[in-house]
Amino acid sequence: MLSIVSAILSQSPPLEPTPADFWLPIGASVQAHNVDFMFNMINYICYFFFVVVIAMMVWFVLKYRAKPGTRIRTDGITHHTVLELSWSVIPLLICLVIFYFGFRGYVDLITPPKNAFDVNVTAFKWGWQFKYPNGAQSDNLVVPSGRTVRLVMRSNDVLHCCFIPAFRVKKDIVPGRYSTLWFQCDIPTGPDENDGYHLFCTEYCGTGHSNMNRRVVVLPQAEFDAWLLKQAAWLDEIPDDELYFKAGPKIYARCSQCHSIDGTDGLAPTWQGIWTRITTPGGARFTDGKSYADLIGPGKEYATPEDYIRDSIYNPGKHLVAPFGNAMPTFKGQLNDRGVDAVIGMMKHLNEFDAKGAWTKTPPASPAKAETK
Amino acid sequence: MTTIDTPHPEALDTTASSDNYLTHSRGFVSWALTLDHKRIGVMYMFAVLGSFFVGGTFALLLRTELLTPGRTICSADTYNQFFTLHGAIMVFLVIIPSIPAALGNFVLPIMLGAKDVAFPRLNLFSFYLWIGGALFTLYSLLAGGFDTGWTFYTPYSTTTTTGGVVPVLMGVFILGFSSIFTGLNFIVTVHKLRPPGMTWFRMPLFLWALYSTAIIQVLATPVLAITICLLIVERVLNVGIFNPSMGGDPVLYQHFFWFYSHPAVYIMIVPAMGIISEIIAVHSHRQIFGYRYIAFSSIAIAMFSFIVWGHHMFTSGQSGLMNTIFSFISFSVAIPSAVKTFNWTMTLYKGTISLTAPMCYGLSFLFLFTIGGLTGIHCATLNTDVHLHDTYFVVAHFHYVMMGSALIGMIGGLHHWWPKMTGKMYNEKMAITACIIIFVGFNLTFFTQFMLGSQGMPRRYYDYQPEFQSYHIVSTIGAYIMAIGFFTSAVCLVQSLLSGPKAPANPWGGVSLEWQCASPPPHDNFSTTPKVGNCYDFSVVRYDEKKKEYSVDHDMEIEHDAHPAGGAGAAGQSGQSGQSGQSGQSGQSGQSGHGGSHS
Repeated sequence: MLSIVSAILSQSPPLEPTPADFWLPIGASVQAHNVDFMFNMINYICYFFFVVVIAMMVWFVLKYRAKPGTRIRTDGITHHTVLELSWSVIPLLICLVIFYFGFRGYVDLITPPKNAFDVNVTAFKWGWQFKYPNGAQSDNLVVPSGRTVRLVMRSNDVLHCCFIPAFRVKKDIVPGRYSTLWFQCDIPTGPDENDGYHLFCTEYCGTGHSNMNRRVVVLPQAEFDAWLLKQAAWLDEIPDDELYFKAGPKIYARCSQCHSIDGTDGLAPTWQGIWTRITTPGGARFTDGKSYADLIGPGKEYATPEDYIRDSIYNPGKHLVAPFGNAMPTFKGQLNDRGVDAVIGMMKHLNEFDAKGAWTKTPPASPAKAETK
Repeated sequence: MTTIDTPHPEALDTTASSDNYLTHSRGFVSWALTLDHKRIGVMYMFAVLGSFFVGGTFALLLRTELLTPGRTICSADTYNQFFTLHGAIMVFLVIIPSIPAALGNFVLPIMLGAKDVAFPRLNLFSFYLWIGGALFTLYSLLAGGFDTGWTFYTPYSTTTTTGGVVPVLMGVFILGFSSIFTGLNFIVTVHKLRPPGMTWFRMPLFLWALYSTAIIQVLATPVLAITICLLIVERVLNVGIFNPSMGGDPVLYQHFFWFYSHPAVYIMIVPAMGIISEIIAVHSHRQIFGYRYIAFSSIAIAMFSFIVWGHHMFTSGQSGLMNTIFSFISFSVAIPSAVKTFNWTMTLYKGTISLTAPMCYGLSFLFLFTIGGLTGIHCATLNTDVHLHDTYFVVAHFHYVMMGSALIGMIGGLHHWWPKMTGKMYNEKMAITACIIIFVGFNLTFFTQFMLGSQGMPRRYYDYQPEFQSYHIVSTIGAYIMAIGFFTSAVCLVQSLLSGPKAPANPWGGVSLEWQCASPPPHDNFSTTPKVGNCYDFSVVRYDEKKKEYSVDHDMEIEHDAHPAGGAGAAGQSGQSGQSGQSGQSGQSGQSGHGGSHS
């Protein structure tokens, strides 16, 4: 069993996934073989003891069932030291064996081979951000096949937990420290995200806990390298005037966890009419009683509305719109200037987008909005 | 109030009708301020069953929500409150107090041969603490509810905006003291109030189980109280203890929490094991097999329970070395559990088994506990647990132990002692039907969850992948079947109160002391100090065909116990005291207990 892992490490041929069966899903990582072997071994031991106990129980109940008029039997033995010792010692030995193999498997599970490919993972309420060494970012986890991948994970807020059932790996993500997880998958999945394996959050984290599911897409090394380059440059390749409708919806997919654009206030204020709101002097909008006009304008905290939006993305807790709480994570380091430009552009042209944030291309025939840019 | 320990059934009848603990005094105040352990036990029973109804309703609501992926009946936030309330109510208000405080309070002093627990006022106080804790929990619902999960993991629990977190923490804090006082009371009672002859190894195994439980309650629960105080301090005063953004450590919270909550698992299951030891012995009319092994395994489980908490945290980020140590020690709990299971099974061998309603629950327990215990191996093994942790596999595993074993044991115990508590018999066929419905529903509900979990479905999920839906549908259907079973059982018990036939003192043919006082027992339990014999020696049980009830030939029992081989001495004794026509005949040797059994 251990030889499987060491064989992988010495560049042996790719390991085929274990097929899905009644109990376990497809086991696509090199570690899955080990875990599945243990799971099945314990299962067989359980079947055996279950059948023994239940068969004895049923047999005794049928055989010694009291019938009307039967006397109370008193010929049964009341203790038997050898029997007691044997059903203490034999399960103990079996348990020791199971413990040992589980321990060896666990050591393999938590010890990543050297020269792993690192992916930085940020978990937050309620989503994931995967960042690659060349600066590329992704909402789904895309990894190369045939290579050890190590996830270096941190949390922006509460406990989360990264679980990839097909790889049989799981690790809590504790705020304030890094957690790591490694796996290696030898067989690529399709390039489409729906071909990928599930990635779940398994530490309860509130409203959107069950929607923190993402996909793990495994690409052949060459395809992965190409994807990585494209992913790193995707914002730069878009012309400035197309930024808001090409990049905007992709970035909004994350904002949409809390911010709607159809006018409903969920966990955070809706984007609908946001540009009108912040450029029109009005009543108090912030939890400290200030209005937009108190903050935005020449000589004030924010010279332009764009400055305000930008700071709200990077320092979301600074000014809170009433009555919402301080729920938004900072996007400093995750969204660069062009990304912020795309968001601001999208806010200015919201009437060109449908309720789910997709660009409809055909803006309603309304007079062009006053653009301050 | 007299001649409770008499072997004469006809004397028992007059006693029962003249005065018992239910008729001893009347009026609301006589109950509210009672110091009688039996009344306190009955009040606990009502309170616990009421909470069980509430917790069960939440279970049905969340199972209904899980019928389809996405929204079925409620929003994600509401669902999160449902499963949190279900867990918190079932753990803190139902299972932890169910057996020790409700059944234990009623049965322990009678089984022991005492008139009451050692501190009757403390006993009443602990009941009112329970009420206080329940009121705080109720108040937390009005204050906005709480969505933290019953485990209150930080930093979520200290930062969530739901308003009921602090009230429910106060509630749990208070409930903890209720539990501590009950435990303290039981420890002192067992040590100090045993009548002459009731040696440690003559105690019924239920008492050993309650004693082991009481030790855990007294030693572990204070840690919960401290942890909750720290949590409240962090949430209310913003002192950084667990929240890393204030310099705290969330994993420290998990250590504190499980240092209590793992032993709490045994607070729930060990008393149920005690009940099963009684049910299986009494309804098989067979001396329990390996008495000392079962007794010591209860103590062993109580000891081990304190040093295995880390197996809840294999993926939490605690060090690999600690995971290894905790995995190793966790396997040690498997041994006493296996010993008990094998001993119960062997007790059936060459027994005289009556398939009564309590026995059906006892056999259900054996079936469900075997599954619950064996699947614990998957969870204790390090590398398989990494895959299974926080999935439905764990949910299924602990429901097999907590509900399939602890609660089924409790319901079985309720049926076992119901005639004693109320003086009424229930409709046996109806009770057995209810048991079968519950058993089928339970397995449909939770066995499917093993597959869900090993296939990778995480727990506490409002929304899920469509491929899991077929399992969820079966599970939900099972939950409704189970609800029908519990409803049937409730109807059966209520019906027995209204129109059930009068229960004899000894409806099952038990030998332990509670079967030798009337049903229901008189206010003082025993007017004279009862004679104590071997509580599992069923050779002294007689079945009266005319009266259709059991009696225990008491003098015979003492003699028999003194001379295990039986023989002439025993025959002579029982001849002198034999009032019923059968005792002289049966006293000839220990081998020839002349009992019939209804079937």
